[in-house]
Amino acid sequence: MERSLSPFELEVAGLIIETLNLDDVAAEQIEPEAPLFGEGLGLDSIDALELSLMISKRYGIQLRSDDPNNVEIFASLRALAQHIEQHRSQ
Amino acid sequence: MMLNKALHAKRWSELPERGTPLMLWLICWIATHIGRWAARLLLYPIAFYFLLTAHEARRGSYDYLKRVLGRDADWRHVFKLIHCFAATILDRVYLLGGDFERFEVKVHQAEIFHRQVDSGQGCILLGSHLGSFEMLRALGVSQQRIPLRVLMDTEHNSSITRFLHALNPEIAATVIGSYRPDTLLEVKESVDEGFLIGALGDRPTGAGRTMRCEFLGAPATFPIGAIQLAAIIQCPIILFFGLYRGGNRYDIHFELLTDRVAPDRARRAQDIERWTRRYVERLEYHTRRAPYNWFNFYPFWD
Repeated sequence: MERSLSPFELEVAGLIIETLNLDDVAAEQIEPEAPLFGEGLGLDSIDALELSLMISKRYGIQLRSDDPNNVEIFASLRALAQHIEQHRSQ
Repeated sequence: MMLNKALHAKRWSELPERGTPLMLWLICWIATHIGRWAARLLLYPIAFYFLLTAHEARRGSYDYLKRVLGRDADWRHVFKLIHCFAATILDRVYLLGGDFERFEVKVHQAEIFHRQVDSGQGCILLGSHLGSFEMLRALGVSQQRIPLRVLMDTEHNSSITRFLHALNPEIAATVIGSYRPDTLLEVKESVDEGFLIGALGDRPTGAGRTMRCEFLGAPATFPIGAIQLAAIIQCPIILFFGLYRGGNRYDIHFELLTDRVAPDRARRAQDIERWTRRYVERLEYHTRRAPYNWFNFYPFWD
């Protein structure tokens, strides 16, 4: 497993921290393949919503609740960054 | 401590597991084939059964009743509480079947509700386990159907709720169950489409942030999730209370909590606290006026 973050992964990590006010976490510290929700970063469903809306706004992606891949997309920082990179429009 | 209370709530919701599906089926059958009067006769032995066997529910009830009545309660008060609960469950059978005409429903501040529905814009309808949330459906009778979806913690769903939803799969399909990462995104999309999202704000679920507030004179822990949600979505929060008054009578109360929670992050946390406190105040107000509608049968205080 590649533990260090790519530049874009760093950027997305920064967005997560900024959006959710995670004062005690540094972007580089986030493990790219660790879970975002529950364990790992320990985000909850409210965080998920805020993040989804911010990602939509920042990268022009429409995240929809009926996307069957949502669990995978939000499974880790790496998966999320990958999804954004593939679908971004801005 | 928090987890403890959520476990209590979960255990309570599982209590009816013991032998009850048959009982529920029986009441249901009698309710729909013989009549409400017959089913209501059955409520007495059923309430006695739970009075005698549901020890934890009884303990929680004694504690609650003492606080709300201001004096020691005895088994008759607990019985009345359980009986009231059972009566509203029976009535949910009719509500879920679209059979509202049999109830005498008095609606207070109905214009708050109708204005919201007419606006075509969604909101959070925040209720509690005081009385019957299902009474909301009785309001659909004059309009074609109110655009309602209920946000429900389906992991901790009681067997009663599962059973009732089996009666009406169409309504069950409108439930938004938790807790995938995209669950609340689904809520936001529904609100954008003009749905009213029903949620209950008095029981923490283990996950989700909480806040301690004074309730009936002592601190208790309340979830803040629904109000946080309204803050992020930027929609109004309307309070809902569907109170059972005996016989076939219900009182419905609507109250506007707020049009908008403060959008900017700086003020948001404070605002969420403020509105949570206000919700709890209003919950206490209505609880005192309908004490036998309190259906949180577990140790509620910290």
